[in-house]
Amino acid sequence: MFKLDHKFIATSLVALMASSAFTMASTAKKDALDGGMTYTRDKGMYSDYYINKQVDKLKINNGRTPTANELKAWDSDIMPDGTGLPEGKGSVEDGDELYEEQCAACHGDFGAGGVGYPTLSGGSISSLKNQRTAPGMDAPKRTIGTYWPKASTLIWYIRDAMPYAHPKSLNNDQLYALTAYLLSVNNIKVGGEVMEDEFILSNKNFSKIEMPNKDGFYPNIDGKDGVENVRKFFADGKNYGAVGKRCMSNCKDPGMKGAEPTVMKIGIEMKDVNPPYSTVRDMPKKTNTSGHPGKELYESSCAVCHATDKMGAPAVGDKKAWDVVKAKGLQNVMKNAINGTAAMPPKGGNMDLTDWQMQLIVDYMMSQSM
Amino acid sequence: MTNISNTSKSEIEQTSRRDFFRKTAAYSVSAIAATSILSPAKLLADDENIIHHSKWGTSLGYELNKNPYGVPSPFEHNVVRRTTPLLSSAGDMHAAISLSPIHELKGIITPNGLFFTRTHNGVARIDPNKYRLMIHGLVEKPIVLTLEDIKKYPSESVIHFLECPSNGAAEWKGPQFNSVQFVKGMMSCTEWTGVRLKHILADLGLKPKAKWMLAEGQDGSEMSRTVPVEKVLDDAMIVYAMNGEALREEQGYPVRLLLPGWEANLCVKWLKRLEFGEEPWYCKEETSKYTTLTPSGKAIQHFYPLEVNSIITSPSPEKPWTDLKKGDMVEIEGIAWSGHGKVKLVDISFDGGKNWVEANLKGLVLTKAWTRFSYIYKYDGKPILLSSRAMDESDKVQPTVNQEKAIMGVEGVYHRNSVCTWEIKANGEVNNVQIRS
Ligand code: HEC
Ligand code: HEC
Repeated sequence: MFKLDHKFIATSLVALMASSAFTMASTAKKDALDGGMTYTRDKGMYSDYYINKQVDKLKINNGRTPTANELKAWDSDIMPDGTGLPEGKGSVEDGDELYEEQCAACHGDFGAGGVGYPTLSGGSISSLKNQRTAPGMDAPKRTIGTYWPKASTLIWYIRDAMPYAHPKSLNNDQLYALTAYLLSVNNIKVGGEVMEDEFILSNKNFSKIEMPNKDGFYPNIDGKDGVENVRKFFADGKNYGAVGKRCMSNCKDPGMKGAEPTVMKIGIEMKDVNPPYSTVRDMPKKTNTSGHPGKELYESSCAVCHATDKMGAPAVGDKKAWDVVKAKGLQNVMKNAINGTAAMPPKGGNMDLTDWQMQLIVDYMMSQSM
Repeated sequence: MTNISNTSKSEIEQTSRRDFFRKTAAYSVSAIAATSILSPAKLLADDENIIHHSKWGTSLGYELNKNPYGVPSPFEHNVVRRTTPLLSSAGDMHAAISLSPIHELKGIITPNGLFFTRTHNGVARIDPNKYRLMIHGLVEKPIVLTLEDIKKYPSESVIHFLECPSNGAAEWKGPQFNSVQFVKGMMSCTEWTGVRLKHILADLGLKPKAKWMLAEGQDGSEMSRTVPVEKVLDDAMIVYAMNGEALREEQGYPVRLLLPGWEANLCVKWLKRLEFGEEPWYCKEETSKYTTLTPSGKAIQHFYPLEVNSIITSPSPEKPWTDLKKGDMVEIEGIAWSGHGKVKLVDISFDGGKNWVEANLKGLVLTKAWTRFSYIYKYDGKPILLSSRAMDESDKVQPTVNQEKAIMGVEGVYHRNSVCTWEIKANGEVNNVQIRS
């Protein structure tokens, strides 16, 4: 384990005496920023772990200095004060066109959602107070217009992460145009001005965007007191539901009406899980567990048309053809595969296939076409 | 050793052994225990698995290195992560989550192939030879590190859980899944190996003005988050190994950030760069998502710690008590954890939270790690409402469903840690319920 030197014996005796539980852990303090514990790194211990005492005093000087170009290439974030905004401009109108081409299949017309991918517009700030405590009540609507505190988040996120299947493919003018369009469908104003079709957003007027829910978040993390506000927030459990009490007998809780607890059972059970529930220990039905689970089904039901593009079907292995398919969004592709589209029969003509099997097959087809 | 008398042996033969064993096989172990309802003679029936040579004992096994990277027995094929389209964008399994089969896990270490996974743009496949990490911003000396550079720093290994703050999010409005895997499986616990960030920063010289750190990923979504420097200098690490081997791709191969006890989403995978600054960044995943809407209509931002929590994994909907008979002694077992420190104790209630008894902790009790608890129970066949409630080193106790709901409402999505309850019916079936008004 480790060499016993005199210093170690002395310190370990101190540790033994200090702790009734006979443990060797380092000192734990209830002083963390998050309302929890921190642990000292001393006497060769960090909490219950032994550590190499030499390390804390070491300078390693690994790595190398990045070049100016490297920094420029990677330091691509955009901050709320506009730091990092690229030079460029784009109109709401141009954004509308781009959105139709590249985004609407997943996010719905005007960002209104509807196909299962995130909804980008609609709702109201007052809806954020909605609490669905009974069935049939309206949900709070968290969209760019009702929820997002900063416009910088939107342009930064689109630049890095969208469109989903080809992130980082938009140029700066396209970025401004798409951002302008999404702000406009959320009825967001810039310097008091409504964003009409001709409105042009650029790095020059970006700071004038008025985000409706900019004050919707706490604690306040900005400015010189930001971190201290976080500390104060976590110091009081009432702020975040940390209010449990250790009651041992005859405990009262609003769930206990009278003598018996009020038991809420599952209303409609969510059962759509993959793979299906099972705790059985047997040999799997199909022994080719190393292959893709959709392979065999593909070969028996779909390969006849999809092995080549002769029938007008996207051929498995043809990356270009499948990139076009993928850009429609998986939800839409699955809908087409299940319900049929153009010369593609519903479920490829094999109606015995379940939706889950269809998903496995399409996943296999896509995995072979990357 | 038991001697079986000649009479009982012949009796068994008369009552058709094969038939009997066909039935017991169908009921498995439970049926053997339940044979007390059969005549004493049948109780002493021979187990064919003992009487006859086994298939595996009478043939040559497979070559020892057939699987240069070992795989579980095929009989374990149902011990897997599971997903649901409900926890995804439109059923798209690139922006979704898979959950750990916590009902099948033992001890406090999750095998790497069963670690829960959340991605925002699929699993990135990174060539480790082309991997670079950049650290810059308010530091005296910005640097670029290769994977080999990172591994040259002295390493530390620590056991910590990671939990998605959405763990249990489907249940704010009431129980929805009859499954412990789906109720609490968005978490796993691993021995991580990597470097304390403060040791790297000692080289770079953090400027006094630096208050926040941006951590950004290299996947398609460039998943990013803002972290207070105070946490970075306390226990933050960048890690490249889990349970002794390289990170799995799903967990951020080759390098991810580890912020012990904090939202797994903050522990950015496929780490690309760390930038130090004076003001927070407001990334997508700390504004649009991972903020907790409260009944006031305002939302909590930068909600870091995963609070004290526990779950009984056995019994559970997947591990019912249908094979027990009255008088059997059975172990109630579960996992407790807290992002605020060590688990101090766990209580168990059999009556829906009116009365509680303290359970036993077992195994290692480490900070910000899964901790096992155990209670031996004499099964009496009566229906019960079984709950667990943990308390941590910072003296926080899990709230009841009603206590948590009174403050947080039901629309917050994240950070649900109220007491979970299983209803155990007279036939031993287990259902997910809530004690809730
Ligand atoms: C193939 C489907 C698809 C397409 C096409 C697509 N997106 Fe997305 N988008 C997604 C998914 C999935 C997410 C959520 C990702 C996650 O889980 O983090 C998302 C998230 C977003 C968000 C954040 C939403 C929120 O509430 O957090 C914005 C903004 C966005 N997309 C904009 C765009 C724009 C602009 C385009 C077109 C250039 C586009 N998307 C094209 C699938 C798509
Ligand atoms: C009779 C021939 C035929 C069979 C059999 C067939 N497909 Fe197709 N499939 C097509 C054609 C043709 C198209 C192109 C449709 C179009 O023009 O949009 C297509 C398109 C598709 C697409 C892309 C849909 C889109 O949105 O672009 C998917 C996915 C697909 N098929 C899956 C399957 C699966 C899975 C099976 C087997 C279960 C299958 N197909 C069997 C002919 C077939």
